[in-house]
Amino acid sequence: MKLIFEKSIKDRDGYSLPGDLFKEIKIEDCLPEYAISKKKKLLSEVSEVDVVRHFTKLSKLNYGLDDGFYPLGSCTMKYNPKINEKLASLNNFTYAHPLAPEETVQGSLEIIYDLNKLLCEITAMDEYTMAPAAGAHGELTGNLIMRKYFVDRGDKRHKMLIPDSAHGTNPASAAMADFQVVEVKSNERGTVDLTELARLMDKDTVGLMLTNPNTVGLYDEGIKNIEKIVHHKGGLLYYDGANLNASLGIIRPGDAGFDVVHLNLHKTFSTPHGGGGPGAGVIGVKKDLIPYLPTPIVAFDSTHKKYYLLDLGSKSIGMVRAFWSNFPVLIKTYVWILSMGPDGLYNASETSIINANYVLAKLKKYYKPAYDRYCGHECTVTGKEYKKYGVKTLDIAKRLMDYGMHPPTIYFPHFEPYAEETIMVEPPESESKEMLDKFIEIMIKISNEAKTNPELLTTAPHNTPIRRTNDLVAAKRPILTYDDELKLKDELKYKDKNIDF
Amino acid sequence: MRYIPNTEEQKKEMLKEIGVSSFDDLIKEGVPQSIRLKGKLNIPEARSETELEEKIYNIAQKNSNFYLMKPLIGAGAYRHYIPEAEKFLLQREEFWTCYTPYQPELSQGTLQSIFEYQSYISRLIKMEAVIPSIYDGASATAEAALMSLRLTHKNKIMVSNLVHPHYRETVKTYLAPHEPEIIELPYKNGLVDLEKLKILINEDVASVIIQNPNFFGGIEKLAEISEIVHSKDALLIMVIAESISLGVLKAPGDIGADIVTGNAQSFGMDLNYGGPYNAYLATKKEYIRQLPGRIIGETTDVDGKRVFVMTLRAREQDIRRERATSNICTNHNLNVIAADIFLSLIGTKGLYQISLLNTKSAHYLENLLLKSKKFEKIFDYPFYNEFLLKSKEDIATINKKLLENNFVPPLKICEFYKEENLKNVLLFAVTEVLSRDNLNKVAKILSE
Amino acid sequence: MTNKVIKNLYYTKSDEWLKVEDDMGTVGITDYAQDQLGDIVYLEKIKKGKKLKQGEALTTIESVKAVSDVNTPVSGEVIEVNEKVMEDTSIINKEPYGEGWIAKINIDNKDELKKLMNNQEYSEYRKE
Repeated sequence: MKLIFEKSIKDRDGYSLPGDLFKEIKIEDCLPEYAISKKKKLLSEVSEVDVVRHFTKLSKLNYGLDDGFYPLGSCTMKYNPKINEKLASLNNFTYAHPLAPEETVQGSLEIIYDLNKLLCEITAMDEYTMAPAAGAHGELTGNLIMRKYFVDRGDKRHKMLIPDSAHGTNPASAAMADFQVVEVKSNERGTVDLTELARLMDKDTVGLMLTNPNTVGLYDEGIKNIEKIVHHKGGLLYYDGANLNASLGIIRPGDAGFDVVHLNLHKTFSTPHGGGGPGAGVIGVKKDLIPYLPTPIVAFDSTHKKYYLLDLGSKSIGMVRAFWSNFPVLIKTYVWILSMGPDGLYNASETSIINANYVLAKLKKYYKPAYDRYCGHECTVTGKEYKKYGVKTLDIAKRLMDYGMHPPTIYFPHFEPYAEETIMVEPPESESKEMLDKFIEIMIKISNEAKTNPELLTTAPHNTPIRRTNDLVAAKRPILTYDDELKLKDELKYKDKNIDF
Repeated sequence: MRYIPNTEEQKKEMLKEIGVSSFDDLIKEGVPQSIRLKGKLNIPEARSETELEEKIYNIAQKNSNFYLMKPLIGAGAYRHYIPEAEKFLLQREEFWTCYTPYQPELSQGTLQSIFEYQSYISRLIKMEAVIPSIYDGASATAEAALMSLRLTHKNKIMVSNLVHPHYRETVKTYLAPHEPEIIELPYKNGLVDLEKLKILINEDVASVIIQNPNFFGGIEKLAEISEIVHSKDALLIMVIAESISLGVLKAPGDIGADIVTGNAQSFGMDLNYGGPYNAYLATKKEYIRQLPGRIIGETTDVDGKRVFVMTLRAREQDIRRERATSNICTNHNLNVIAADIFLSLIGTKGLYQISLLNTKSAHYLENLLLKSKKFEKIFDYPFYNEFLLKSKEDIATINKKLLENNFVPPLKICEFYKEENLKNVLLFAVTEVLSRDNLNKVAKILSE
Repeated sequence: MTNKVIKNLYYTKSDEWLKVEDDMGTVGITDYAQDQLGDIVYLEKIKKGKKLKQGEALTTIESVKAVSDVNTPVSGEVIEVNEKVMEDTSIINKEPYGEGWIAKINIDNKDELKKLMNNQEYSEYRKE
């Protein structure tokens, strides 16, 4: 499809400016000559009609959650309720300036304050910061909180334990806090090896970052012992909330002994992913850690009956962003929790766990489970049986697209000998049994195709807007802008460029 | 529950297929009974959609009617007009509800849009490689500072005092674990103090962070700054808090910037009480291996079509884990699409004219306010669309008058700067949402 | 999967090979390593004159979807860098043991060679 630049026609307008342009004022009288750009910066010149058609067409090249099944493991692609969107875009919220006087934003502050209370109850924590913009941002914030906590005690801990099954963001976040990352091996049941943990957890160790259920979708049944081992050595326990969707109303991280928790509001709490954000990665802590949260937090002055931004003072790690939060994401979360109520939240986790185990039970004859036990809200199977037919997990995933479904997460987690060529399926509560049956039917069909006609898989997908991409060329000769392309125009010979409007 | 299709009957059927007698049976292995939640969560019972709508509308009424209130405040968040076509297009579920584009076959819409945005920003700031999305200007600036430490293997950073205070705070927070020396570069008469820069800089400095226009709205002498910074082999990190200024101002890449970070909120993003906004982080191609975050590149598919993919992936956390250039994963992708649509709509001419208009109307207001004799200049410096004026009247009175007349008051600069001469000083911001009539009204109210 | 192994070279557990000629050692990555990485797209610049201890990272090698350190099999100073593979990293995929060598090192201490594997030991080590 053409780029917007290739649709540009000189002097076309897509925008109307106010009529009064202060013609009596000269730019040279406002700005020094050294600062003014001599030439206009070239963007594109298209009409509003061109823009609307361009982006409508682009949107049709995407596959969204409202299009169908989206079983990405560890991503919790659940339905994004439409009422949330409406209520998050009320004018009084959208047009509020972050530095407007507190008395003008009492509504926004009330939502943040109330949401904090709800999240504390759901996770058994004592206080949340709404500042972090994404899961990884929350992880960094959590690590910095733990760091400052120990520094204040004169305790020089510098190592962070992270299971081999963890998301890449965990070690990357710990490294940003300048901790040395120490990997904890999983045992044959796919969970933390307690002997190994006890050996590694020492007085130089900050603690353990744990996802529960973990990234294979398995509950860590040793959680009580894990908690004892870490706390016994004075460490802190960090909860990666990526998989909280298996826990609502069932088990609360705070009750299990976690000290710091991050929640991906764009996963468990139903806010849309937006093709990679914005989400929010709010951080909850136990009482002792509250002073270390990023400043400020929202507080309520009961004398004057008003909400305000409270500066946490010198113990706080400081700010991790400009202003306060990804506010619309908070409203959507708030609305979702209130739509669900306590029974609805429990139902969400219960249904998602049943969904995942149902898929596992029906598929395990065809795709070997990484671990043969019940799973949480997602299940991990492998495609390694099909290697002998020349078919990889990647091919299975691509073939699913031909049947109109988004593939599950593949090749993650990866650790031998259990989890290789992995396919991780997360069918959240918003997926019906009929949808799961359809998925199961297609997966079984693909397993037959792998045996009888492997080429169908290795050349898949066949009927998507584009087909398999050459990632090697992209990395070796990076073309990162349209101007890069223009420089190489004699070398590049594209098939469809001018045909497809 | 309307978001959960499976009925109780279906769930029972499924449990049977799984081979367990009940849900408790299914999870008893993984969740020790002793830590299972006894009873229900103590939160309000579920509400219907209509009840909820009423509740949230009522809460929203506790905010001022910001739609009608024209802001005289900027300070890193600017209200610009957002064309309706953008808002409409952004509602498309294909953009809203999809995941990170790990499967290019099903994500060309997102990928091409990001590529277009990278191309736009590259032209605006004259940098070769643009990371389209770090969470916001503050975190992008912190990432740029970390990047400069990696590139130079030095551990000292110099930050202009006229970089947005929240950005400076965030840089400190991100860098704290690495215990670098952070030197604050003072200002003089509303701009970076060049003499102090010359004195303070030396070969140990990894990078110097300068915002332009600066927090006071001032236009820095970037060419001179660049010369001083580069004479000591330090990197120049240029921060842009108001990206619309690029319409009239020179591109940072043309005046010696090595790394550029920019708050893109002005490119079609609502104020939303502080976020989500978005920031770009850009540099020269020689430094691309040290860039944090996601970038999109062009290639072909097996049929020879031009397509777009995530590229230079080996820097990222899912591959490089603790040695990644950053931990960033989810970013503010939808804001990138918003900005791509916004820039496409306003186009070459629109960007120039909005930028020009913002400059002129800010100067128009300053002039009116000075004429009223109720305000005086404290610095004589060139500015873009924000400026400082000292009020002779008490600020609380001014704020009250402005709020009563549906204007969001300007920033009290003493909230961020404690200097004696900055008491009772206001930082005004003007954009195209304030018409000449609005500005005349502001001047009139404040003259009375 | 391929795992071609050449005689008369030394091998490391992290899949580098070393060819010894007098006091000079030539370093590259093994066929197994290049196969595991897949198409190599980038090799981090190596400074001539850099002094390294046995097992330290000489450079970092990137493919489209993976990244790995290339560790030096022996301690010493980098005396030559293969500029050709720096330009065209695909040579490593094509000829890991020949034209695909990465750097030459002035060997400090030949005793360290005892810690390395010969071709048979390496073959055994990487047998699936």
